[in-house]
Amino acid sequence: MSPGDRARLRRVVTQIEAEAGRAGERAGRRLPLTRALDSALGGGLADDALHEIAPAEPADGAAAMGFALALAARFLSQRSAAALVIGEGFAAHEAGALYGPGLVAHGLPLSRLVFVKAPDAALAFWAMEEALKCGAPAAVVGEIWNLKGYSLAVSRRLLLAARKGRTPALLILASAYGQAERLSSAAETRFEIAAAPSAKAPAAGGKDLPGPFACGARLVKARLGAFVGAVDDGVPGGRDQRSRLHDAGRVIRLEWRSEDLAFNEDLAFGDPAISLPLAAASGDGPRAAAQRR
Amino acid sequence: MTVGLSLADARARFPGLVAVEAAPAEEARLLQRLCDWCSRFTPLAALDGRDGLMLDISGVAYLFGGEAALIEDCRARLAAQGVSVAAGVAGNPRAAWALARFSQAKIAPEPLNDKAFAKLFHDLPLAALGLDGQTVADLARAGLRRIGDIALRPRAPITARFGSAPIARLDALKGLERSSIAPRFMAPDFCAERRFASPVQTIEAIEAALRKLADDLVVLMERQAKGARRIELGLYRVDGDVRRIRVGASRPLNEARAIVRLFAERLASPDEDAIDAGFGVDLMRLACLAAEPLAPSQAELERAHEAGRARALADLLDRLSARLGARAVTRRELIEAHLPEQAEAAAPAVLGEARSRDEGLETGASGAPARPLRLFVRPEPIEALAEVPDGPPLRFRWRRVLHDVAAIEGPERIAAPWWRRADAPTRDYFRAEDSQGRRFWLYREGLFGRETAQAKWFVHGVFG
Repeated sequence: MSPGDRARLRRVVTQIEAEAGRAGERAGRRLPLTRALDSALGGGLADDALHEIAPAEPADGAAAMGFALALAARFLSQRSAAALVIGEGFAAHEAGALYGPGLVAHGLPLSRLVFVKAPDAALAFWAMEEALKCGAPAAVVGEIWNLKGYSLAVSRRLLLAARKGRTPALLILASAYGQAERLSSAAETRFEIAAAPSAKAPAAGGKDLPGPFACGARLVKARLGAFVGAVDDGVPGGRDQRSRLHDAGRVIRLEWRSEDLAFNEDLAFGDPAISLPLAAASGDGPRAAAQRR
Repeated sequence: MTVGLSLADARARFPGLVAVEAAPAEEARLLQRLCDWCSRFTPLAALDGRDGLMLDISGVAYLFGGEAALIEDCRARLAAQGVSVAAGVAGNPRAAWALARFSQAKIAPEPLNDKAFAKLFHDLPLAALGLDGQTVADLARAGLRRIGDIALRPRAPITARFGSAPIARLDALKGLERSSIAPRFMAPDFCAERRFASPVQTIEAIEAALRKLADDLVVLMERQAKGARRIELGLYRVDGDVRRIRVGASRPLNEARAIVRLFAERLASPDEDAIDAGFGVDLMRLACLAAEPLAPSQAELERAHEAGRARALADLLDRLSARLGARAVTRRELIEAHLPEQAEAAAPAVLGEARSRDEGLETGASGAPARPLRLFVRPEPIEALAEVPDGPPLRFRWRRVLHDVAAIEGPERIAAPWWRRADAPTRDYFRAEDSQGRRFWLYREGLFGRETAQAKWFVHGVFG
């Protein structure tokens, strides 16, 4: 198949999708994050898909949770429904239990959160799937430590459930630190999250004061589906910036402003304190797919 | 052989005696199990002392073909379980008790006139009145041994000499005094049941029957425009075991499908061995324990999209609660408390929405959250190095990793309420960020110099 055929086919696919009203609808149902991320994701985070979040290192679990909850807070601000936070029962002892006053300070409305404690990962996945399918929650956040049972099939089920209920699924792969690129799943996007120094405030004497939540985010995977939408939405300089961002696997420093529920981004973030490896090409991302063709 | 005989004496009289140690707890459990089983006859079943059951069968006997047939049915089924019973039926609990334990005649005719009463009860011993042993012995010394002996005598002298109990009990026996029983389970508001000629064993058959029961129950509730908040499914097994499965709903349910789905989650739940049907189930009863009127405007609200979503969410939470347990699906609310670990409370989501204050973002001096995202159930001890004993830490070791403090805010002093625990040490909290950008909530326990000489450090939580 020549490149010309491929381009023609792609145009046909886009046309069919546009006729079915799906492409337009889906592009409109995206949650904007920051400029750089939006252009890479094709207009924002799809609100009917599975998004995975993996910590870069074991100690980055809290940063990953903070990022996922920030996304949930943004989804909550768009819909009036409640969000579900689903986890395994033992996680509270290992990583600490989610703490109400802290959640409120992070920008989450506590009265619109429901916490679900499953005895094991299989039941946690079941609960996520049920919640996604029914379509009532504004977002479903899952934190799973025991990833033995997390397979392509499970992720596909979650993705289909998210599609069916038009509910975003934010899945924290809590024990998959450093494996973000090697995992293969049906998720639409995958982020690798590391801790990042906050914007410190100078103090009168002695050390600075720590600032609000910040993390280093790396978009490890964005499925082709996200890029199809991006071609049409005409982000200025979209393609270049997008491929640059994605190919380099760059770490973007995100700072969470909990009072207006928005991220500040810092593209020129090269703090050596973040010891992330230089990203290799994604195993199942669009680039690898392009090479395979 | 008599009650109160010592074991040695009994062995002397009957050399082949088999002695079994009493197990009152086991017996009590067996009796409770039998009581549960007896609720197949009537919802009003109660324990009666250590060795009896009291069933209120008003109006239900005809379902079993009359009182005699009911007794026979009960006796035969219990005999199949290896339990032999003595039963009595009468117009009041006292009389039934006396007949069951002391009389050959088991059924008192109704209404009970004086002649019939005399015939049935006058020959029974005074113990049949349920008097304590001392009173019976006192009466016996006066030559009063049978119920007839006191029933035919003037009441005043007996009361004067033996207290009010004998005459009061006699009145109760005649049904002159109202006495009620305390059933082990309250009669449900609505209930539907199904008996099977041959016991059902498969889970599919049970679920099919459950669907029919739910239909019946919904019809009953519809007549009063009510919905069920708590529902119980009783599975009465042939071998006498009764399994009760309860589910709760966060809104009054009046759809059979929703009810069946809640139970389906429970039946599929991993820690639920409910569907060990054993030799089969011969009676299923679906009872609504708590009903609430349906909101009159519910039909109108349903048209609104939001309300539809709220309903879908409520159903989802019910389903999750049914499978994972009500305590696993919670909402939380903030509480005004000094100690951080008491600043929130969780309540089962099936109870409905928590009232919560979402305003009042607590932030530190730099605009950052003042409370961590995750709090450790038990604060974890750390080794911390500080310049001065009551100053902030420079570096600390937690879970074997050394963290250099790059930024810090504090102390925030939090003391336990003095009116509760006077001896609890004061905590000084710090928000610390290490050189990697990880943020921790640390505290030092005990005021240096005043409360302790060697302050201990803990990690209480982590910020994102």
